[in-house]
Parts: sequence; C-alpha cells; structure tokens
Amino acid sequence: MNAIPYAHLNETLYHEQLPNGLDVYILPKEGFQKTYATFSTKYGSIDNHFQVAGGEAVKVPDGIAHFLEHKMFEEPDGDVFSRFASHGASANAFTSFDRTAYLFSSTEHIATNLITLINFVQNPHFTDENVEKEKGIIGEEIQMYQDNADWRCYFGLIEAMYAAHPVHIDIAGTVESIALITKETLYECYRTFYHPSNMSLFVVGGVDPAAVMQAVRDNQAAKTFRPQGVIERFFPDEPAQVHEALRLTRLPVSLPKCLFGFKERPPAAEGRELLKLELTTKLVLDILFSASSAVYQELYDEQLISDNFGHEYNCNADYAYSMLGGDTPDPERLVASIREKVEALKPGGLEAATFERSRKKKIGGFLRLLNSPESIANEFTKYRFKGIDLFDILAVYESITLDDVNARFREHFDWHQLAVSVVRSPEQA
Amino acid sequence: MKHIQFERSTWNRIRLHVLPTDQFKTFAISVYIGRPLSEDTVTATALTPFVLRRGTQLYPETRMFRERLDDLYGAGFGFDIYKRGDYQIVQLRMDIINDRFVSAGESLLKQGLQFVGETLTRPAKEQGVFRSKYVDAEKVTLQKRIEAVINDKIRYAAERCMEEMCRDEPYRLHALGEIKDLADVTPQSLYARYEQWLRTAPIDLYVVGRTTLAEVEAIVQQAFSLERTEESGYAVTAAKPARAETQTIVDRLDVKQGKLNMGLRTPITYGDDRYPVALMYNGVLGGYPHSKLFTNVREKASLAYYASSRYDGHKGIVSIQSGIQIDHYEKAVAIIREQLAALTQGEISETELSQTKAMIANQLREMQDSAFELISFDFNAILSGKTRTVAELIEAVSAVDAAAIADAAGKVQLDTIYFLRDKKGE
Repeated sequence: MNAIPYAHLNETLYHEQLPNGLDVYILPKEGFQKTYATFSTKYGSIDNHFQVAGGEAVKVPDGIAHFLEHKMFEEPDGDVFSRFASHGASANAFTSFDRTAYLFSSTEHIATNLITLINFVQNPHFTDENVEKEKGIIGEEIQMYQDNADWRCYFGLIEAMYAAHPVHIDIAGTVESIALITKETLYECYRTFYHPSNMSLFVVGGVDPAAVMQAVRDNQAAKTFRPQGVIERFFPDEPAQVHEALRLTRLPVSLPKCLFGFKERPPAAEGRELLKLELTTKLVLDILFSASSAVYQELYDEQLISDNFGHEYNCNADYAYSMLGGDTPDPERLVASIREKVEALKPGGLEAATFERSRKKKIGGFLRLLNSPESIANEFTKYRFKGIDLFDILAVYESITLDDVNARFREHFDWHQLAVSVVRSPEQA
Repeated sequence: MKHIQFERSTWNRIRLHVLPTDQFKTFAISVYIGRPLSEDTVTATALTPFVLRRGTQLYPETRMFRERLDDLYGAGFGFDIYKRGDYQIVQLRMDIINDRFVSAGESLLKQGLQFVGETLTRPAKEQGVFRSKYVDAEKVTLQKRIEAVINDKIRYAAERCMEEMCRDEPYRLHALGEIKDLADVTPQSLYARYEQWLRTAPIDLYVVGRTTLAEVEAIVQQAFSLERTEESGYAVTAAKPARAETQTIVDRLDVKQGKLNMGLRTPITYGDDRYPVALMYNGVLGGYPHSKLFTNVREKASLAYYASSRYDGHKGIVSIQSGIQIDHYEKAVAIIREQLAALTQGEISETELSQTKAMIANQLREMQDSAFELISFDFNAILSGKTRTVAELIEAVSAVDAAAIADAAGKVQLDTIYFLRDKKGE
C-alpha cells in the first residue's frame, strides 16, 4: 500500500493495485462519522460498441449500461437495499456517459457494508423475469425525464451537436431501445466491463486505511477472475461541424429555456494535458460569465438572463463541448447579445485582475470540495478514468497563465461551431 | 458518538450559537430570521433578501458586491426562503475557507462575518430607502422565480397538493410570496417592512469552524449595526386535524407522466414526545428504498420509478409522492392505501423495524459531518422549544416498537389526494 501525502491540503491518500487489477484508494478523514465508498467501472452510456482482445466485436442496445446498473441491485436471496438497510447504510448508483458507480454511506459496520458493496457488484443475477419487470420501472424513469424541461434542454443541445458519437444517446435509452435488452446482452456487457481490472474502489471517511485495505485484499483473493484482455471501444467518425444549429423542444415552461455551446475537436489527450485544457476553459467561462462578470450583469440588467444562468465545460479524449444559458424571454436575442459582447472582448483579451480573481475563487472552490466525502470520491474517480489525479488541480490552476487563458478564449468561441437548444411552451411563439 | 456542544450567548437580542471544531476546511455561517406566515407580509419578506444581495453601502454596485465574494476565495454566499411550521424563514448562508490553507492576511472568518453583517444591516440606499433600480429588477426576478415552479413537475405537484390541503390556513402561502402583491411594492414600503423585520423578528446566528464564542461575539458586535426592540422567540405551530372527508384534486397539464401526491395530517409534531414514533412511521412507510412504498409500488408492481414519503415535523404533515403512468392511477392509489392500512393494523415486521431504526440512526450520525446540517438540526430546537441531542434522538428511535407505530398510524389521516395528469380526454 502506497501512502501519497498532500501536506499542503492536510490529506494523505493510500493506494494499492491488487493482483486482479483492481485499483483501491483510501482517504482517511479524521473526525468524520461517515464513510463513503464508491465502486466504479469505466463503462457508461457511450460504450455501446466494443471488443475484448480475442473476442468478437459487439453492438448493444441504447441504455444498457444504465439498465445493468438497475439490475445489479437484484440478488438471488433478495434485494441489496434491504441488506444495506440492516447495517444502516444508504446505497445508490448512477450511470454517466463514461462510468457507472455503486456507492454507500454509513457510520457503522463499515467493513460489512464495504464487503456487501463489492460482493453485490461482483455477483450478477439476471433472469428473464426480473429483466422484464425492470422495463416498467425504467420506462417510468424515462418518462419522468421526458417531462423535465431542464434535462430536455440539456440533452437537446448534445443531440444538436453530435450526429454520430454515442454521447448524444440518452443515458437511459428509450422505451423502444430497452425493450431489446435481454439477460444475455446484460451478461455480455457485465463480463466485459465489470472485470476488476476495469474498476476502481474509493473509500473516504473516518477509517483505518490498513484495516480497510486488508479486508478488500482478502475479499478479492478469495475470488477468481479469468484474465481479461484489453477492451477496445469503437466510436463512429463524428463530423467536425454541429449536427443541427438549433434544436427546439415543446414543453410547458414559464419562460423559454435556452442552452447553447461550442462543439470542439476531440482533444485526443489525457492526464495532466487534458486537465489543463479543462481548467483553462473553465477559467475562461468563469471570467466571462460568472455572476460577478460585466457580461453577466449587463445581461441581467437587460432581463435577458435569470439567476439560473450558468456554464460548464465537458471534455473527454474523444469529445469536448461547452454549454451555457438558462431561462430567458428571448433566446435569439440572448445568443446575439453574448456573441456581440464576446467578440468585443476578443481584441483586447481578458484582464489580468479578473483572471487572478477567478483563479482565487476556483482554488477556494476546490478546498471547499474537500469538506465533502461524496464530492471527493466522485470527482476523484471521474478524473482517474481519464488518467488525471484530482489532487493535481491546485498545481495546474497555479500553472495557468493569462496568455493560456486568452489563447483558449479566442480559440473556443468559434461561431461556426455553435449549437442552440431551446425549450418553449406549446403556446409560446 | 461525537460530542457536539454549541456555545451560546445573546447580544442585542440576537441569539449566537458557535460550534468550535477542527473538522472542516471552512467556516460555516448561517443567519435565520423568522416571521409568522401571513398574507400581509409574505411577499415583502421574500423580496427582501433578493434586494439585499444586490448591494451594500460599502459595495453599492452588484458587481462590486460579487467581486468581494470572489476575493474571499470564492466564498459561497446565498440565501433561502422556506416555511417551517407556520413561519416564513429567511436564511443567509456563507461558507468561507479556513485561513490555514491560504495566506489571507486578515482573518477570513472576520471578513466573512463582516460581509454577512454588511449585507443584512447596511443595504445600498438612495433617499433613505432601497435603490429603486434594485427593487424593480428583483421584483421581476422574484416573479419569474414564482412562475418557474411549474417547470419542475415533481415540485409543482407537491406544492399544489399542500396548497389545496391547507387552503384555509396561512401554510397555503408559497414561501416566495404572491405575484399579485408585487405591483404595489415600492422602495419606501419595502424598506419600512425591512426595518420592522430587522427590529422585531427572531434572529439566530450560527458559526461552525475553528473559532470560539468570544471571537464571534467580538466580530458580530462590530459587524451587525442594527437596533433591536423586541425579544421574540418562536411560538409552536399546532397540528391541525384532517378534513372530515378526503378530497381529490386533479390538475391537467401537458405531461407524459402522471404525478400522484397525497397529503396526510398527524397530531405529532417536533416537540411531541412521540416525535421519534412519527419518524419511525414515516421510515417504515416510505422514507427509504426498503420501505413499504418503494417495495410495493416500485419493486413489486413496477408502477413507478420513485415512490416515497416525507414527514414534516414542524407542521405535522406526512406527504407521499410518486410518478406513474396516467392509467395506473387507481391501481397506485389502491396499493398506497393498502400500505397505510397495513401500518394502522401494525403489520410491521421485525426486519422493517430494525432496518428503519438503523437507517434513521445512520442519517442522524451522518448529519454530523456537515456543518450546515448540524446547524439546521440545532435550529429545530430553537423553532420547537424542544431540545434533543442526536444521541437522545437515536436512543428514543431505537426504543420504538410496532405497537407504538400502529398507534401513531391510527391518528394519521389522509386529507388530500392530488393528481397531475395529461390533457387527453379533457
């Protein structure tokens, strides 16, 4: 077990890679009652076409990673929630574009709950009957999101941007696509992506690292996994330009919702390089559009934006896009006004003072994140799967220069790459 | 079990509560200001924090105000407005990092508290009242916020259910107030309300972090310049009985999924000795994934993705919520009614009891890892006049048996069934 000290943060991280390939991370937090653990696989909604070395290429129905996540909670001897409840643990799981995470938090019986977590995820139990039953439940989850205006606006933008890359496929799939899922396809995905060498366990809280590591070692040593070849993931060629310039969705809303953003070329990077790209772009967006920016205040004064105006940037090795917006009475005018303001700023560039202020804010935000075991575990794993160390964030922020920020600013706002998603009420023009 | 001891004092009729601890990387600051819910004041009270966050005497322009927060290492600052029992509570929050991790010069706690004090007590003014530019803009913002409730159908259905259930009491009012009142609000009228509010409303100020009561007292005395004329506490909200016959309300909107909500009344509130029983009742009914609602509506019948219940101990209300296919309405109502009946008949297994106890105890212990949750738990005691430590509450919950739950269930009455459905066949 390696101890990795982060003295300036007053934290020490422990890591070991087990013989079966599983990466185990433990972050003890003194004074915390709670322990939070995530068991994650590098497998999400975008992984719908793949091949394991020595096997055949497989294409699977949309929404299967999420379906699998639901079905993992079923065991031959009953529901996993019930087993966690007996030891006072609250359990959950989620599926994103590129990972699936199973988690619990509890204040007692940590070792028992941790073993329950590992065992249920390593023990699939799919039957024709329980697969069929789940289709009703997930069907309602899909319908719920269909009625959710924020989600539809968010996903509408990704659909507008991407024509081929599976990032544009709704994580839960559709009622039609999940109808095609069978226990055989579930087992196929399970065998491929739930091998320990494709997974990572993160434990954070008031724990003794040596004892926790030993419990995990013993548990894994008692199980056998056949060796797993390299997983190759196939992604179709994605055109450089956006798929649609405008996506319009009709739903009852009090004001139109408008999100827009810029589709970038795949960064084809990982590790620190990808992190620097992400943090630099986030600084640009924060300097331009945070609540303390001139642009934000002008738009607010013009009543073109509300308090929910926000921005984000997502990047992965093979896709990258920004997203900004919120509720607005006039989506066209909002986009036009931002375009004008951004273009006016390009020649002179962003100022040193606002850059420094924004960086200071980001550093404070990172330190605040360390109060939350949930955020640490989730962010750490998210970055780990991209070859990034979460605790590098401070150093990377410190390394970014005003020139970096201005170069990124001028590069990112390429209006040929713009897509817009709008949700309006049926009765709104 | 961790020992949690807030140190307390009163200054200028403001109650100060300080929890010295090394556990967090930040200082958490919360100010609670309460006022009885009333048609007369609800909108003005809701609008006030919106205007206060636009500027102060030191930072009269909104950008200066927000840049100041950025300079404090991006201090998290915000406000919430909500109902607790028959009170409308305004909460100002700040989360600011502990100086030990940065080189900040003057104490960040001091700068943070000064900022909160400045925001609350020294607003930007013109001609002795709020700046009209800010009042006008925030009236629009508040109106948009109230109108936006309809965007989130789950929340919309929950609020509509409460509105219909509490039609004849102040609790029907939305915490954000009413659009119809906004037109008449002027900078003068709002400022007069604000002054009265600050003078007379109960104020509780909390700080959790690496500090002491003496340090906080000294800063607050400088940072909060206000005149207080009333020593007011909170009166306990009395629970109301359910209507004699359950009412059913149906709303229609352009939705794909139906939202089924139920409102129930219980005579047990936070201050009641049976409060732990009511917590258990809700836990067995629908508080968790092992509870009756999740198990029967979702896992067994496959009718829903979510099916749960919530207990509001300050008001004496249990609410149930689920999202279902529109033509499954009768089936879902029947299954939920069966679960309510099972509780009344004491059909609660040993496993349900022990799992629910373990989950409640865990939730209470986990709360101690969040500074703001610790504050909010402590504030329950201020609101209700009933002090319980986490350990005492866990102890009391562990002593609850099936008979006590059945007895409490017998006094829970279904008041309102609310269904939000599509427009087909209208």
